[in-house]
Amino acid sequence: MLAIIIGTHGYFAEELLKTAEMIFGPTSNVKTIHLIPGKGVEDLVKEYDAAIEELDTSNGVIFLNDLFGGSPYNAACRVAMRSDDYAITAGVNLPMLIEVLSMQSMEGAVPILEVMERALAAGQTGQSNFHRTLFEKMATEEL
Amino acid sequence: MKISYVRIDDRLIHGQVATVWVKTYSCNRIMCCSDEVAQDELRKQLVLQVAPPGLKAYIVPVQKAIEAFNNPKYDSFNTFFLFTNPTDVLRMVEAGIPFDTVNLGGMRYVEGKTQISQAVSVNDQDVESLKKLHEKGVKLELRQLVKDPKVDVMEKLQSMNLL
Repeated sequence: MLAIIIGTHGYFAEELLKTAEMIFGPTSNVKTIHLIPGKGVEDLVKEYDAAIEELDTSNGVIFLNDLFGGSPYNAACRVAMRSDDYAITAGVNLPMLIEVLSMQSMEGAVPILEVMERALAAGQTGQSNFHRTLFEKMATEEL
Repeated sequence: MKISYVRIDDRLIHGQVATVWVKTYSCNRIMCCSDEVAQDELRKQLVLQVAPPGLKAYIVPVQKAIEAFNNPKYDSFNTFFLFTNPTDVLRMVEAGIPFDTVNLGGMRYVEGKTQISQAVSVNDQDVESLKKLHEKGVKLELRQLVKDPKVDVMEKLQSMNLL
């Protein structure tokens, strides 16, 4: 099974997972890691290692981090340097997490590089703008 | 036109539907069938703009949906049908549209309705239409999220003395 580790500043990871469960339903094989004041990259590496120990990593590990270059991301990079089966996507948001959960629950393993690319794509396509002046120009398709 | 799935959800296209349901029951079109919403240009636009990327969505009156279903021009459509209430589903079934299973996913509570699950509340007319759908052999399942267990609607109504 694909293992999912969400690593963020503060308790964003845990709350994001709870939010995703409102849409996706109960999840499994997911761990959340939180950087709280006083913790450093070394602590996070240890926590990632402990999380990996407890997870089923038979289909690889995807790390989802909140901020490219932040400590949770930097620590994940150190861990991910150890194995081809580990990958990281930064900039985690709800669409990205839901996409990764969907891939995890699919029958058959999705290659970790594909998991990573699809996570990024879902995060990006899940972002959009709205302004009524632009919206009113939108054409509706009729049958 | 093929039927991918049929769901009653009065929010029509929203988070759970756009991200999980239409992927679980793969489809190439979403058709929201509602006379009321089809007439409401603002609501129509707001629903359509949240269609997931790559999936074409339509909001049509029930009669138009029936005509489109029977039109060979749309044979390539594998459609995820959305309704706001069971009475509109019944209109389609009575017109011969072969829905075999209908998912009851979301009908918000308003005064005078009875809540039968966290996400679904029904009034007398809803119950009447559900009964008729059941009599016509349509399987009715109560389920908000894809991962939730499927609950038999008729058993649920029975257990709450609504039949």
